[in-house]
Amino acid sequence: MHHANHFYGHAHVLARYCGLGDGHPPRINGYLQHGWNIGDGLAPGHPYVEGTPSLLWSEQTRRRAWSVGRRNVVVTGAPFGYLLSLRPEEPPAQEREGTIWYPFHGWEGQHVRGDHRELIARILDTEPGPVTVCLYWHEHRMRRVRRLYERAGFRVICHGYRGHWWSDTDPLFLDRQLTELRRHRRVASNRLTSAIFYGIAAGCEPAVYGDPMILADEDPTFGGTARIRRQWPELHGESVHLPTAVEIARAELGTDHRCTPAELRELLGWANLQEETR
Amino acid sequence: MTTETPPRIALPGGEMLAWSDLPERRLPDGGPLVALVARLVPAGARVLLAGPHDPALLDRLAHAEVTWLLRSLPDGVALAERAGGRSVGVLVGGPGGLPTGKTFDVVVAASGLDAVESVEGPRIGWDGLLERLAGVLAPGGTLLLRLDNPAGLTRMVSATPWYAGRGDAEWAVGGALDVGRPANLDQLRGRLAGVGLRPGGCFAAYPDAAAPTALVDVAALDGRPTSGLLDAMLHGACAGGHAGRPVLQDPARLAVDALHSGLAGALAPGWLALAHRAPADAGRPAGPGPAEPGGPGGPGGLPVALAQTGPPGLGVVEVTAATDGWRWRVADPVEPAAGAPFATREAAWRDPAAHTGPVPEGRLLRTVLLDACLRRDLDTLRRLLRGYADWLAGHADAAGRLAGATALASPDNVVVADTDVVVAGAAPAFAVLDASWRASDPWPVDVTLARGLWRFAAALATGGYAHPWSSTLDVAGLTVVLAGAAGHDLDRATVAAAVDAEAAVAAALRGLDGAARTALADELRAVEPTAPPPGSDSHQQLREAWLRQRAELTRLQALLRWTEDLLTSRERALRRADATINLLSGSLSYRVGRLAVTPARLARRGARAAKRRAADALRPRPTGEERR
Repeated sequence: MHHANHFYGHAHVLARYCGLGDGHPPRINGYLQHGWNIGDGLAPGHPYVEGTPSLLWSEQTRRRAWSVGRRNVVVTGAPFGYLLSLRPEEPPAQEREGTIWYPFHGWEGQHVRGDHRELIARILDTEPGPVTVCLYWHEHRMRRVRRLYERAGFRVICHGYRGHWWSDTDPLFLDRQLTELRRHRRVASNRLTSAIFYGIAAGCEPAVYGDPMILADEDPTFGGTARIRRQWPELHGESVHLPTAVEIARAELGTDHRCTPAELRELLGWANLQEETR
Repeated sequence: MTTETPPRIALPGGEMLAWSDLPERRLPDGGPLVALVARLVPAGARVLLAGPHDPALLDRLAHAEVTWLLRSLPDGVALAERAGGRSVGVLVGGPGGLPTGKTFDVVVAASGLDAVESVEGPRIGWDGLLERLAGVLAPGGTLLLRLDNPAGLTRMVSATPWYAGRGDAEWAVGGALDVGRPANLDQLRGRLAGVGLRPGGCFAAYPDAAAPTALVDVAALDGRPTSGLLDAMLHGACAGGHAGRPVLQDPARLAVDALHSGLAGALAPGWLALAHRAPADAGRPAGPGPAEPGGPGGPGGLPVALAQTGPPGLGVVEVTAATDGWRWRVADPVEPAAGAPFATREAAWRDPAAHTGPVPEGRLLRTVLLDACLRRDLDTLRRLLRGYADWLAGHADAAGRLAGATALASPDNVVVADTDVVVAGAAPAFAVLDASWRASDPWPVDVTLARGLWRFAAALATGGYAHPWSSTLDVAGLTVVLAGAAGHDLDRATVAAAVDAEAAVAAALRGLDGAARTALADELRAVEPTAPPPGSDSHQQLREAWLRQRAELTRLQALLRWTEDLLTSRERALRRADATINLLSGSLSYRVGRLAVTPARLARRGARAAKRRAADALRPRPTGEERR
C-alpha cells in the first residue's frame, strides 16, 4: 500500500466502514486521494505505479485525471464521507458556537510565507463568536506561530499527526476533526481546502477570506489559488450562500458516490483478504 | 446415377442431376420463414414455391395447392417422397420449365432468384428470372421474394470476403458490383414496379438471410429505433446465429447499433419483400392486401416480427400490431408445459400462454446501462440500477423470494418504460419483456439481482466495453460493485450462487444434457475480464482481450517493480532498527537495567510454573470409560 493512503487515518476509516474493525488496515490496491485537489487527485511528486487504480473523490476530478493521462480512475468519494456515514449526526453535546479557523498549511517539505498577524486581525474583525484555530501539526509545533494565535485569544488546537511512511499515523485524525467541526457554527480558512468542504458536510457555514499566503515551491500546473477563486467564486467571501456551498461540497466530496461496504471492499482490493494481512 | 423419376415429378428441362440445394441447417418446423409463408397463403390458394425451401413448408401449406419448382433432381425426388399422397406438383428444371398459361395466387422465392437458375441451359439473369416469376403471378396475387444484401451485416462481419467465393454454388459470384441485380431496397422496389407489380412491405432477415431466426418489418425497424423488443430480438438472433463461426466483429453489437441509427433495415443480411399484382376486378378475394411501407402494422396485416427463440419445439413467437400497441402471439399453440418443470426439474421452463398480452414498451435495460457505462454517467447508473433492484424487491413475497418470470428478469430481458423520465430523475418504470420463461422454483431476490448483474458484468468486461470502474476487478467483483451502485450489499457467495443459477437456466434454455451442462457451468465460473466473451470467435473481441491482457501484465510488472523497491527500502529500515536495538542492548544502562529486573522475571516465571502445576493437579481426571 502506498504510504499516502494512511494519511489522516483515511485507510483506518475505510477499514472501519468495511467492517474490518479498528486494527491496522489491509493494503489498498490503489491510491486514495488524500486531500481536496484541483489536479488529478494525486499528490504531485509522489511515485505512482502505472495502471494502479486511483480512488478519487469526485466525478469532476475523475474527468480531469483521465484528461491528463491517468487511467483506472474510479470515483469512490472522500473518506470523510464514510466517516459521516459511520457517525451520523450525533446529539450535540453542546450548542454549536463560534468558528473553527484553518490557516492554510503546506506540508513538511513546504513552507508558507505570509503575515499571520495580519490574518489574525482580519479574523478578529470578521468572526462574531469565539474562534478556535486549528493548526497543521507542523505549525502547531512551531511555538512562535502557535503563540501568535494564542495571544489573540483564540483556542489553538491540532487534529493530530497525519503520519509519514506508515509511522505515527493518527487513526483518529478525521474523527477528531469531525468532532471539532460539529462543535462550531462556522468553518473558515484563507484558502479553499479540504477542511472547508469537511466543515460544510459537517453542518458548518463556510467562509474563505484573508491573505491566501504563498506556499514555497507551489506547483502551478493546475492554476493555483487564482484558478480556485475563478472556478469556485461562490465559496469565497466572509459569508457565502449556504445551499450553494452544500451542493458544491456534496459534489467535491463525492457524497453521492459513496460505496456500500461490499462494493468498497472490492474496489480497495479487500474482498479476498488473507488472514495475516488483516 | 439413376435417372428413374417418380411419376409425379415433371422434367421440363434444365434439371441438375448431381446437385442438392436443400439446406443442411434447418430450423425446427422451418422457423419464422415457414410461419410467415403459412400466414401469407390463404386457404385454397394456388402456390408456386420457386427454388429450394425447407420441406417443412409442405406440412404448413396443407390448405393450399402447391407447385414446387426445383433445379435439383435429388431434391425433387426427396420432396415428392415426403409429399406422400398429397397432390404436390414437383417441377425439376430451370426457370424455363414454368408451365405456360398457368398462374398462381402466391409465388414464393424465399431462397432468392439465384437458386432458381440452373447451370444447364441459357442464363437469363436476375431481371429475367423476376420477369418469369412475375409472369405467372395471377391478378391480385402476391410475390414473396428474398434478396441478399450485398452490403449487409453478414458480409460486414464475415471473416471471408464475399468476392472470394470458391464453393460449389458459386459458379458465378454476385455482389454490389453487378448492376444486373438490385443492391438495396429502393432498387428492389424499382425492379418490382418495373415488372408491373406493386411493391408491398418488407421483412429484414436476421442473422442470416438463408436461415433467419428473426424476421422484422423494415418499417418497424426504421420507425422504432429504440424499441427494447427489436433490440433484444436482433441481439438474440445475431448473438446466437454466428456462434462457432469466425467473425470480424460482434454481429449482435453491430445489429443493435444499426437499429439505433435507423439502419437495421438497410443493413439487414437480407430482405423478404412482398409485391402484389393488381386484381383483375375489385371483387376477387386474394392474399393479404398490400400495405404502405411505414404503416403502423406489419406489411399487409402480417405480423410486425416473427422470431424463433429458445430450444427446439417451442414454435415461432409473433408480434402483431394493434391499435393500442404491439402484442404477442404464438404462431403454433404449444401444449402448456405445466407438468414439465416438475417432471424434469429444469431450472426454468417456458409458458407459451404468456405470449398473449401487450409487448411492454421501452428501451432495453441492458442497452441503457451500457450507454451510461460508456458515458461513465454514475448518476444515471445508480438511478437505473437502484430502480431495477427496487423493482425486483417490490415483486418479492414475504420471504424475500421471486417467482415466475420476474425471478429470471435480467437486464437483457427488462425494458425501462420511459427514458425521458429516467433522465429527468424520476423513478424509472420497469417491465419484463418476454415473460414466457419462468423459474421453476422461487429464487431469493438477491440471487435474481446477482444473476442479472453478473450477466451484465460479464458482457461488459469480456466485451471490452469502457466503464467507470477499475480494470483490476474480476467479474464477480464487478457484479458486487454494480450491486453496490444499486444500493445492495451483495457478498461473493451470493454471486457464486447466481452463477450456478445462470448455468442451470442457460442449460434449460438451450436444452443441454448432463455433460454439456457441467461444461457450461465450468465455463461460466471461469469467465475472466481479460478473456473474450464465451463462445465468440470475433477478431475484434479477441484482439481487445489480448490488449486487456497486455495492459494487465504491464500493470502487474510495474507493481512488482514498485513492490521490490519498497521491500528493499523497508528491509533497509529494518536493518537500521536492528542496529539501533543492538546498540541500545549493548549499552551500560541497558545491562544494568536488565540485571535489576532479572530476579523479578525469574520469580514471575516460577510463579507461572507453580500455578500451572497446581491447576493440573486440581483438574478432575477422566475415568477409564471417558479415556476410551
